[in-house]
Amino acid sequence: MVNFVQGQLILIAFIIFILGLVYQGIQFFKLTRKKEWGVPPSSMEIKREKKTAKQWIIEVLRSLNGTLWETDPALTIITALFHVCLIATPLFLLGHNILFDQSWGWRLFSFPESLSDILTLIVLICGIYFLGRRLFLARVRAISSTYDYIVLLIAVAPFLTGFLAYHQWFDYETVILLHILSGVLMLFTIPFTKLGHMLFFFLYRFFIGNEYSFVRGSRTW
Amino acid sequence: MTHQEIKPVDTKKIKEMLNQRKGKMKRYLSHCAHCSICAESCFLYMSHNKDPQYMPSYKAIHSLGKLYRKRGKVSRDFLNKIKGIVWRNCVLCGRCYCPIGIHIPSMIAFARNICRSQEVYPQLDEASSESWL
Repeated sequence: MVNFVQGQLILIAFIIFILGLVYQGIQFFKLTRKKEWGVPPSSMEIKREKKTAKQWIIEVLRSLNGTLWETDPALTIITALFHVCLIATPLFLLGHNILFDQSWGWRLFSFPESLSDILTLIVLICGIYFLGRRLFLARVRAISSTYDYIVLLIAVAPFLTGFLAYHQWFDYETVILLHILSGVLMLFTIPFTKLGHMLFFFLYRFFIGNEYSFVRGSRTW
Repeated sequence: MTHQEIKPVDTKKIKEMLNQRKGKMKRYLSHCAHCSICAESCFLYMSHNKDPQYMPSYKAIHSLGKLYRKRGKVSRDFLNKIKGIVWRNCVLCGRCYCPIGIHIPSMIAFARNICRSQEVYPQLDEASSESWL
């Protein structure tokens, strides 16, 4: 059982995770088509004057008017930290990289263990903040269901169990098994649940052209 | 009771309409993180004392989301409830902001289409301006 979890199951999880994302990506391009422009957006073609650094900074600050940064700066910082730490911590964790090296013969750069520990703690604190928002903020509670709590748990569980395992609290063997299982569950669910916004955030905001897309979107549904 | 209210709902047609655009709409619904960040971008939410039922995500989830969850098997009463959400609580100004990039107005517009297909729409010629609710 333990051998299966530590060996084949992780491989299966990675395969499903990658194939699931590839499938969703292909489906997205199948469902959308290239956008035809009725009137060419002429403003894009006008050569802009070179801006000085000061003008550039003023323009960036002005572009933040009315954004989430202005309406809820705490949430902006917390959500940015949460997402960066959520992705960076497992990728650059020393323990994971040693396992990568042992099984596949290559490894990524690793953070010092104390830094990884802090980043994990940041993910957990942000997770508690999101849980609090969901529980106590009327507007979030109005659109929350059990599913939302389960998905939050799926996202945070690998970090909680990883933190417990690193500090060797409780029975290490059980905790590390739970850590692997929760990680596998997260990989399984990313392509098929709302965690899919990991991929679709980029597809929606870079490819679909609408008011808030980051670039001039080239595709339409 | 008018003729409209007793006419049975054509659930088959609703299901057909839902299936036609399920690729886009179900993805939008399932990728909504239920974060409520869209709230402040809605002028109706802001002008109604931040009442959660005016949040763009709330409107999409409780209209189109419910139609998909029930797979189109809905009653006229249910469609009449949705009518209030998609016509009264939303004016389709299209300014709602979603951090993930979900286009909420297209979901509301689609829910309106489905209601219209069952002859559920605002009757603005009635005595009171809000009587169609």
